Amino acid sequence: MAEQKWPEKYPIIGRGERKYGTVAAMKIPSIVKADISRIAEAKKQGKPIAYCFIQSNYDEIIRAMDIVPMWTENFAGICAAKRDAQRFLEKAESLGFSRSLCTYATCGIGFDAWREELGQMPPDAPWGGQVRPDVMLSSGQIICDPRYRWYQACQQFQPDVPVYHLDALWPLYENDVDRHEVEGYYVKYLTEDLRGLVKFLEEHLYKKMDWDRLWEIIRLADKTTDLLVECRELRSAVPTPMDTGDAMNTMVAQCFMMGTQEAYEFFRDLRDELKYKVDHKLGIVPEEKYRLIWAGGLPSWFALTDFNYFWSKGAVFPVESTYNELAYSVRELDLPKTSDPLEYMAWRWIRRQTYWWDKARKRPGSEPDVERTINYIEQYKIDGIVVHEAFSCRSWHVGLLWMLNQIAKICRPIPVLTVKGGQKMKTYRELPSLVLESDIVDISSYSEADTRAKIDAFIETLEAVKSQRAEI
Amino acid sequence: MTKVVIMNEEIIASLVRVTTPEQRRLANKVMEEALERANFSFDEITYVVATGYGRINVAFADKQVTEISCHARGVASLIPTVRTIIDIGGQDCKGIKLSAGKVVNFVMNDKCAAGTGRFLEITARALGVKLEEIGKLSLTSRKPVEISSTCTVFAEQEVVTKLAEGIPLSDILAGLHQAIASRILTMVSRVRIEREVVVTGGGAKNVGLVRALESRLGFPVLIPPDPLLTGAIGAALLGRDAAEKAQKEGLPLAKRQRRLEEVELFA
Amino acid sequence: MAQGLSTVEKYYQDYGCRARELRKQGEKFIGYLCALTPLEMITAAGFVPFRIKGDVEEPITKADAQMETIVCPLVRSCFDMALKGKYDFLDGIVIPHACDSITRSYSTMRHTLGLPYSHFINIPHTVKDASLKFFEAELNTFRRSFGRFAGKEISDERLVQAIELHNENRAKVRELYEFRKLDPPMVSGVEITKTLVAAMSLPVQESIALLSGVVNEIKQRRRNAPSQKRPRIMVVGAQVDDIAFIKLIEDSGADVVADSVCTGSRDFFPDVDETQEPLGGIANHYLSKLNCPRTYRGSAGKTYQDDLKARFGDISSYVRDFKVDGVVLYVLKYCDPFGFEVPARKEYIESLNTPVLYLEDEYSMASIGRFRTRIQAFLEMIAK
Repeated sequence: MAEQKWPEKYPIIGRGERKYGTVAAMKIPSIVKADISRIAEAKKQGKPIAYCFIQSNYDEIIRAMDIVPMWTENFAGICAAKRDAQRFLEKAESLGFSRSLCTYATCGIGFDAWREELGQMPPDAPWGGQVRPDVMLSSGQIICDPRYRWYQACQQFQPDVPVYHLDALWPLYENDVDRHEVEGYYVKYLTEDLRGLVKFLEEHLYKKMDWDRLWEIIRLADKTTDLLVECRELRSAVPTPMDTGDAMNTMVAQCFMMGTQEAYEFFRDLRDELKYKVDHKLGIVPEEKYRLIWAGGLPSWFALTDFNYFWSKGAVFPVESTYNELAYSVRELDLPKTSDPLEYMAWRWIRRQTYWWDKARKRPGSEPDVERTINYIEQYKIDGIVVHEAFSCRSWHVGLLWMLNQIAKICRPIPVLTVKGGQKMKTYRELPSLVLESDIVDISSYSEADTRAKIDAFIETLEAVKSQRAEI
Repeated sequence: MTKVVIMNEEIIASLVRVTTPEQRRLANKVMEEALERANFSFDEITYVVATGYGRINVAFADKQVTEISCHARGVASLIPTVRTIIDIGGQDCKGIKLSAGKVVNFVMNDKCAAGTGRFLEITARALGVKLEEIGKLSLTSRKPVEISSTCTVFAEQEVVTKLAEGIPLSDILAGLHQAIASRILTMVSRVRIEREVVVTGGGAKNVGLVRALESRLGFPVLIPPDPLLTGAIGAALLGRDAAEKAQKEGLPLAKRQRRLEEVELFA
Repeated sequence: MAQGLSTVEKYYQDYGCRARELRKQGEKFIGYLCALTPLEMITAAGFVPFRIKGDVEEPITKADAQMETIVCPLVRSCFDMALKGKYDFLDGIVIPHACDSITRSYSTMRHTLGLPYSHFINIPHTVKDASLKFFEAELNTFRRSFGRFAGKEISDERLVQAIELHNENRAKVRELYEFRKLDPPMVSGVEITKTLVAAMSLPVQESIALLSGVVNEIKQRRRNAPSQKRPRIMVVGAQVDDIAFIKLIEDSGADVVADSVCTGSRDFFPDVDETQEPLGGIANHYLSKLNCPRTYRGSAGKTYQDDLKARFGDISSYVRDFKVDGVVLYVLKYCDPFGFEVPARKEYIESLNTPVLYLEDEYSMASIGRFRTRIQAFLEMIAK
C-alpha cells in the first residue's frame, strides 16, 4: 500500500488509532472541556445560565442575549464518554424514574438531584459538573417526549428555576397534504412561540433583546451552515477525508456553538482541511473497501471507538443522517422575505424540516427519511447501511427498522446474477444492513464482544455481496 | 426455601428446607416435621398463616399474607427500632419501610436476577467458587474491580474475561458484591432509607455483601439471629394477632376447614 | 337484543364483532389510538370512530419485524393485532400526536396496514392562545383531507350535531360512574372496564344506548351491606383496555371505584363546549380540558405545590368524590409522558393523605401476574 503523503499542517504522528482523522475533530474534547469551565466561571460572575437542548431553533436568540447555554444532553454524553454515568442513572432510579426512560434525561436529573441535595457538585463530577441554571428552556421538537418532561422533572428539586417550553413542531409527511398548504400556520405558531421565548428571557434575566445583533448572528449562523454543507459534500470524495466517527465530534461545533464566531472559524478550518485532503487524495482509510452510511440513531457515547474498529476492516462512513437533519443552506430553501428575525427563523426551521417532501413524493413508497438515505446512498457511493438502536430513546430510533425495510424494498442498486429456470438473469438487490443495539448513555446495555462480532459478520456480508456483484 | 415456625409466646420449633419443584406437596411434609419437633398435633395449632411465593399452594393455611407484611411484623418484633428492611432472597429482593412497626412503603424486584441471590450464584459458579465462600473471600480484596454489567448474563461473561486477564479472584468477587449492593440500594432508596436498617434473607448471611452494603450506606446494618426465619416468624405473629383480636372482640376466629395432607394435584 | 351487561360481555369478549356486522350493512370505520383523537369530526363525516386496542393474552409475534421493541407495549400489541387481521374492517386510521411511540410508529402503521386512508393530527404540546389557534388550523387541515376522502365536506352543522351526541355519550358515562361513588359501589371496576371497552367499539348512538341499558340494569340492583369493608382503590394511568389488571385488584379484596385513565374519566368527564366555531370547542377540549401528561402544563403558581396542583389537581376531586383509600399508579414500561412524572404524581397524591402503589407493566398476562404480591401487600398496608 502506498504511504499517503501527509503535510505538516495535518499531522498523523502520535495520534494512535484515529491518526487519519481530521485535526479539527481532535480539537473538540478540549473545546468542550474549556466550555464547561467557562460556564462555571460565568456562573461565578453572575452571568445568566440557561439549560438548553440541541437543535431547538433558539441558538441565535441565546447568543444574541449573551446567555450562557448549559447543554444538558452534551453533559450526559460527557458522563457516558467518561463511563461515569451509572451513579447518576442510579440516583434517578432511586427517586422513582424507570430505567426504561431516556438515559440523557435520567442521567441529567440524577445529577441535578444529587447536586441540589448536597448543595454543591457531587464528588468528582465529570469535568467540574453541570452548574445550576437560572432558567431552563425545554423543547421537544415534535418527536421527543423526554425533552419536554425533563426540565419539569428537575423542578422538583429546583422549583425556583422557571421553565419555558418552546413547541417547535413541524408537519409530518402526508400523502394527500401539500406542505405549502400547512406551512403558513406552522410558521405563525412558531414565530409567536419564539416571541414568547424572548419575552420570557427578557423578564427573567433582566436583559433586552438587541434585534440588530440577532440578525447579525443569524447571518453568521447561516454562513456557518453553508460551510457545514460544503464539508459534507466534500466527504463524498473517494477516498473520503472524514467519517462519522469524526462527525460525532464535530457535531459539537454544529449543535452547541452555532451562531458563534468560534463555530464559523471551526468549520472554515475544517472545510479547508477537507478540501486539501480531497485535492491530494488523502483518505482516513487509504484503501477503502466498503463505504457505509450511518442512516440513523444516536451513537453510543461510551463506544465511539467502534468506528476505529470499522476502520481497521477498511470500512468508512462518508456520511450520516444523525445531526445532519437541519444542515441545508438557506439558499436552497427559497425563504420568504421578512424583516422579523423570528419569523425568518421559523420559516427556516419549517422549510428545513420539510426539505425532502417534494422529492419523496416523486418516488413511490418513499418518505422524507427514506428519501434522504437513498439520495445519500447514490451521492456517496454507499455499499451498506448501519443504524444504531439505542434502547432508551424512542424519539430517534423508533421507525428505523421500518425505514430499513422500506429502503430495501424501493432501493435496489446492486446488480447480481441469479439463475432462474436454468437461465442466467440479472436482478437487483438491496444493500446489506446492520442494526447495532445498545444505548446512548447506559453502558450496562453494551457488550463489546457482541458488537464486534456483529460488525465482523456484517463485513463478511459486504465482502460476499461485493464478490457476487455482476458486471453491468 | 420453605420455612416453618411454630410459636406460642416464643418460638417452639422452626425449620428451613430447600424447596423442590414439587413445593405444593412439600409444605405439609415440612409442617409434619416441625410438628414432630414441637410435639404437637396439627389440630392443636390455633391458626396457620402462609406467606411467600408458594403461599397459595399451602392448602392447610387459614390465611395468606404477603412476605412484605410478614417480614415487617417479624423484624419489628425482634428489632423494634427498625425503619428499613432489606430482604435479599434467592430470587427476589425487597425494600420495606416501617413507621412505628407498620409498613408504610415497599419496593420489590422479582423480575431481574441482578440484585438478587441469583446474581451471585451464577457468577460464583462461573468463577468456580463455592457460594458459601464468596463473601469471606471478597473481604480479602484490596482493590475491588468495577463490574459494569448489570445484566447477569453479561456479568457472567465479564467476570470470566477478567479472570482470564489475571485479575485476582478476591478483587472480582469484591467487585461483584459492590455491584449487587449498588443495585439493591438503588432500588431500596426508592422508599427512602432510614436507620435502623435490618438485612434479612440469604443475603444477610453473606459477610461480603453485608460489608458492601454498609460501606455504601456509610453506617452499620443490623442482622437478626435467624435471618431466614423473619418471614415465618412474622406470619406466626400475625396469626397470633388475629387470634387475640377475635378473642378480645368475642367473635369467632375465621378459620378454614383444614387438614394436613398432601394436596391433590388436578390433571 | 336488550342492551345491557350481557351485550357488553359479547362486545368485550369478541372485540369488533359489532363493527363487522355494521360494516356488512355499509357503515364505515376509522381506527384510532389515544384519547386525543377528535372523534366528533369522524362522526360528523359519517364514519364510525373505532378505538384500536391490544390483547394482553396474545404474545407479540408479528410486530417485531417492523416495530422496535422499545415502543410502548400497548402500541406494539395494537399493531400486532392489526397485522393479524383483527382490524381488517377498518377503512382508515387517524392518529393524533400523542406520544413518541404513537407518533413514531405512524409511518410504520400507515405503510404496513395499507388502509385506504390515514392521517396524522399534530397536536401542540402547550396550552396557550397561539397553540389553540394552531390546533384549530391543524384540525381544519384534517377536516379538508378527511372531507376529500369522504367525498363531501364536513359541515359546521354536522360537527355541532356530532358534538352534542358525543357529549351525551360522556354524560351517560358520568351517570354510570355515580354508582361507583356509593359505599359499597353498585358496579364493579371489572364491569365498568368491560362496558367502556365495549362502548368504544360502537357508533356513538349505539354506545349511548348500550350505556343507558347498563345504567338501567344497575339501578335495579339491591344495595347490600358487605360483610367486611373493602378498600376503595383508584387507578391512575393511560389506556386500560383489558380487565386483567382490574380483576387482579378486585380479586385481592378491594373495589376499584375511580380512575383517571384514558378509557375512563379522562375521556368522559370533561365535555366539548358548544362554541360559535365548532372546531374551536373541539380544539379547546382535546388540548386544554383533557388532562393528559402528553400536554405540558407549565408552572402556574409561585410554589412547586401550585405547580403540582395545576398539573394533577383533578385527581384530588376524584379522591374526594369517590372516597378513595388508595391509588394504584399504573404505568407501562417505556412510557415517557407518565414515566417522567411518577415522582411528582406520587408526591401530589401522597399530599392528599392517600397512599400510592406504583406499578410498571409490560401489558401482558405474564407481567400482570407479578403484581399479585404487590397489590396484596399494598392492601395489607392500607388496611385500617
